[in-house]
Amino acid sequence: MYISINWIKDFVDLDGVDVEKLIYKFTMSTAEVEGITKHGQDVDGVIVAKVLSVENVENSKKLHKLMVDTGKEKLQVICGAPNVREGIKVAFAPVGSTVSGQKIGKAILAGQESNGMCLSEKELGISDDHSGIIILDDDAPLGENIKNIIPVDDIIYEVDNKSLTNRPDLWGHYGIAREIAAITGRKLKPLEIEDLDLYDNLEKLNIGVEVDDDENPLCLRYSSMRVENVTKKQASWKIKVRLYYCGMRSINLLADMTNYIMLELGQPMHAFDEKIVSSVNVRTLKEDSEFITLDSQKRKLDKGTLMICHEDEPVGIAGVMGGLASEITDNTTSLFLESANFDAVNIRKTASKLDLRTDAAARYEKTLDPELTKLAIARFIKILKDEDKDIKVTSSFTDIYIKKYPHIVIDIDKDYIDRNIGKEISMDEIVTTLTNLEYGVKVDGKNLTIDVPTFRATKDVSQKADIIEEIARIHGYDNIEPKTNLWKISPVPKDPVRELEYDAKVLLATKYGMSEVHSYVWYDTQLNQELGIKVRDNLKIVNGIAKLDNTLRREMAPTMLYAINKNLKYMPECKIFEIGRTFDYNFDGKEADEYKVLGVGLASAKQSEEELVYEAKSMVDNVVNINRNLNVRYENIENIKYNWMHPVNSFKIIVNNEELGYITIVHPKIKDAINPKVSIIVAELRIDTLGDMVKKDISYKEVTKYQTVNFDLSLIVDKEIKYSQIEEIINNAKMQYLMEYSLVDIYEDSEKLKDKKTITIRFTIGSYIDTLTKEQIDEEREIILKELNKNNIYINE
Amino acid sequence: MEEKLSLLKEEVEKEMKNVQTTADVENIRVEYLGKKGKVIEILKKLKSVEASKRKEVGQQANKLREEIEVLVEQKKQELKEKEYEARIKNAKKIDITIPVEDKIGSLHPITIVQKELEDIFTGMGFTVEDGNEVETEYNNFEAVNVPKYHPARDMQDTFWLENGELLKTQTSAAQNKIMLKYGAPLKAIFPGRCFRNEALDASHENTFFQMEGMMIDKNVSISNLIYFMKTLLSEVFKKEVEVRLRPGYFPFVEPGFELDIKCPYCDGKGCKVCKNGSWIELCPCGMIHPNVLRMGGIDPEEYSGFAFGLGLSRLAMMKYNIDDLRALNSCDLRILKQMKIK
Repeated sequence: MYISINWIKDFVDLDGVDVEKLIYKFTMSTAEVEGITKHGQDVDGVIVAKVLSVENVENSKKLHKLMVDTGKEKLQVICGAPNVREGIKVAFAPVGSTVSGQKIGKAILAGQESNGMCLSEKELGISDDHSGIIILDDDAPLGENIKNIIPVDDIIYEVDNKSLTNRPDLWGHYGIAREIAAITGRKLKPLEIEDLDLYDNLEKLNIGVEVDDDENPLCLRYSSMRVENVTKKQASWKIKVRLYYCGMRSINLLADMTNYIMLELGQPMHAFDEKIVSSVNVRTLKEDSEFITLDSQKRKLDKGTLMICHEDEPVGIAGVMGGLASEITDNTTSLFLESANFDAVNIRKTASKLDLRTDAAARYEKTLDPELTKLAIARFIKILKDEDKDIKVTSSFTDIYIKKYPHIVIDIDKDYIDRNIGKEISMDEIVTTLTNLEYGVKVDGKNLTIDVPTFRATKDVSQKADIIEEIARIHGYDNIEPKTNLWKISPVPKDPVRELEYDAKVLLATKYGMSEVHSYVWYDTQLNQELGIKVRDNLKIVNGIAKLDNTLRREMAPTMLYAINKNLKYMPECKIFEIGRTFDYNFDGKEADEYKVLGVGLASAKQSEEELVYEAKSMVDNVVNINRNLNVRYENIENIKYNWMHPVNSFKIIVNNEELGYITIVHPKIKDAINPKVSIIVAELRIDTLGDMVKKDISYKEVTKYQTVNFDLSLIVDKEIKYSQIEEIINNAKMQYLMEYSLVDIYEDSEKLKDKKTITIRFTIGSYIDTLTKEQIDEEREIILKELNKNNIYINE
Repeated sequence: MEEKLSLLKEEVEKEMKNVQTTADVENIRVEYLGKKGKVIEILKKLKSVEASKRKEVGQQANKLREEIEVLVEQKKQELKEKEYEARIKNAKKIDITIPVEDKIGSLHPITIVQKELEDIFTGMGFTVEDGNEVETEYNNFEAVNVPKYHPARDMQDTFWLENGELLKTQTSAAQNKIMLKYGAPLKAIFPGRCFRNEALDASHENTFFQMEGMMIDKNVSISNLIYFMKTLLSEVFKKEVEVRLRPGYFPFVEPGFELDIKCPYCDGKGCKVCKNGSWIELCPCGMIHPNVLRMGGIDPEEYSGFAFGLGLSRLAMMKYNIDDLRALNSCDLRILKQMKIK
């Protein structure tokens, strides 16, 4: 919202106040200021002049040769404006004056000398109108500085609308002036208004409001008045320029007047042509219908929309926009003035549904004070009289007041205020601040009884915290010294999942050289199609911007594949991980389950798929062990759930007998779609479940003081035999002195060994009580060999 | 005999001059001092020397033996030195400028910044909490004092889900749950991913990270909030920072503030980071609204507190001088690999 300092000066004396400092204070005490514009600084030396004669210029259809009287001299001027005529008074920029920051010099136009120029409104910077030159009133004195006739000079500052969301009272200049009065400690001047009681004996207007819900009426108040004999068509320069500087377009006197009051008091008003709308009924639509609004748009309205009607015919969408049919035109001489208050939530719903966020709707949705409607009419009549002294008010003030907000009184004591601000504020200052903001204040010792003014009582101010804010912000947050406080210190509970998460990230990045990525929590539909990734249907976003990508991810793997696909365009190897959320929805309207999952993606042109699988296995082993010290085992997945899984080489990760994820070679079809020349595998691990598993303590195992002995056995086994099967045999063979054993090597050679392979295992045997004898060693070797032979496994001699 | 000894000496010295390797030296040693060496032979034949001269010759022979031993040792040392010199001289020259494999991966900049902040906060006695990404409308809005159709909902374009839930628009969505979990007094931070239904450009992302904090205790004041934020931010930027509070409107706090810091990169002189404004709007904060405390089961008459939000994505961008927010979610390793671990 744009604030005009000239306008503010109508209500607060700013003599001797540094305006820029004031605007800074406003930022620090009230709301964020987004920018300052100084108007009129680029205009200098423009004066009132009279056009004495107008002649055509040879060889030019557009240009005229004028003789212009500045009061001091008569000058020849060449002018191209279509509305120039003899006898008018104009805004004249003589040679040496400044317009739009440019010095005006002598010029030769169409071979004729021109000693200055007659200005349009746009050239003077007071509107966008460049269709013709400004025509001033006949009584404008010759040679007078234009700035004394048209208020070109002003400082406008823009307040961030978002920071006014909770302040319905600040949506007009008078409310802003009240703040400025409190900030500067100056008095707010009372608003000059018409005494509406004078018209009490005139006839009442015919208005009605249908109320659907007594508790929450859609229309809280409807006030109106009739004015006739309006003869002036254009508003004064003051009104036009202020509207333009505050971001509105001047239309005609009556439309400008309603806008002017809205910008001044924050109360939206509507003026109907009284010839068309002479009575009003406010009601909701009984069925869906169409309606043409002031902006000439045909709009579809839902049943239940609150409308302003004349003889049952809708003439306006309540609180949002009037209808085209009852618009004020240049022929309008009498008007039916509406000043009403509507339910904020309902206006907001209607405006969002129609996507029609008008200035009126933006104000109503902030919950305006219904007391304003009468004040706005009284102010309207007062200013309209100033603009056009011939107008006649022809009705009494007619008012239907359905809902008043409760009167709010807040009791608070000074200690509470000081304690919450953390600084002692004097009672004097408290009272002055609140009084300047128009609160009623009664002091009894340290206790204050505070009467909240109606314009703050609609929802903004209701409790003690709100009063603290008023006092602290006007005092200035900069003036509150930072202070510490001694609070009890207690140990900080740590979240095991978060700890695991960070440990795992560091491990993967440092030990495995992986890079952490962040992505989006939804699937990329187009990429799924391109790569042939099929995902399960899942919870969807209903209002996303990219309509396709609305399905939340159930699995991490697609995210990993997208990232691999992207990076392989630039590099031959890509090893990434993300710890992110996945979601599982049952399509039952209930809450979705949410998981925290580690996703791993490995792609390499140098390593085989097998090597990558073992790398991933090592990662999983270590992630589980760095933090939880639990056992992990892996099993083949019999029936793959997703089409990116490899039907043979996909493996469940099982920790504490709970399935926590999988490692899989990416299905060759999808892999080839990404890049046929690289190996790609993906893995997922449920970090949340793992993190919640109880840590297994490590207990120290003694090392023997005696010599241990190693021997290797190379076993010839079927290719299909798994290492775990051999482990099982070793573990079940009752070897007495086995300390440990480990895999040395697996050798496959399809030519020499055909469907066999050799597995070499190193056994370490020893005793805690003695050095083993040769007999004991041989015996130990015999035990394991016998056990292996039982399972048809023989050693390679 | 004596003559023979002195001849032998000359002979040895002469031979020594021409030796090239330690093996040659060893040969010489064997030739003279070995079991059948020339000097040893003389010593063996001492008996045949007439008794009067025997002692003298013996002494001379022993002397020669010692001299040869020293000579051999010296020569060996000398040659070894030469050999080392030659090995060093002929060693392959390593080109230390050849690039080597980069074995360290990288953490995401958000992880790095988040960890830094978490460490600061845990050091100040804060619990680190976690929230969901899919949230209920109640937790995201109602429980933080934003009822349905409140204009404040405009501030955040929301991704709504088909089950009536939403992708959380702010970390504040966790406030209510955390208050109900711990009660007062309470010191907690809760970082998390947030979502807004916005079109992407260099400064707008639909997916970004925030970190929110709450501190609730008896007699917590505005003055305490200023102190705390100043201390915290000085830790974050590793230098004393100047802060200022302005009124700001956030429905879950009353009073609400926008906290600005004097630009720590140019000390307020004006630079790219502060867009020559010398102040950077960094962190919305405020005294927790009594309604929010009440909904969290905490009595606002007994307890008060403050809450603040830090834009992790924003801090990460400042830290790494990233000027396009989209880089953070790009998964582009050409960017991310630059971040390393800390």
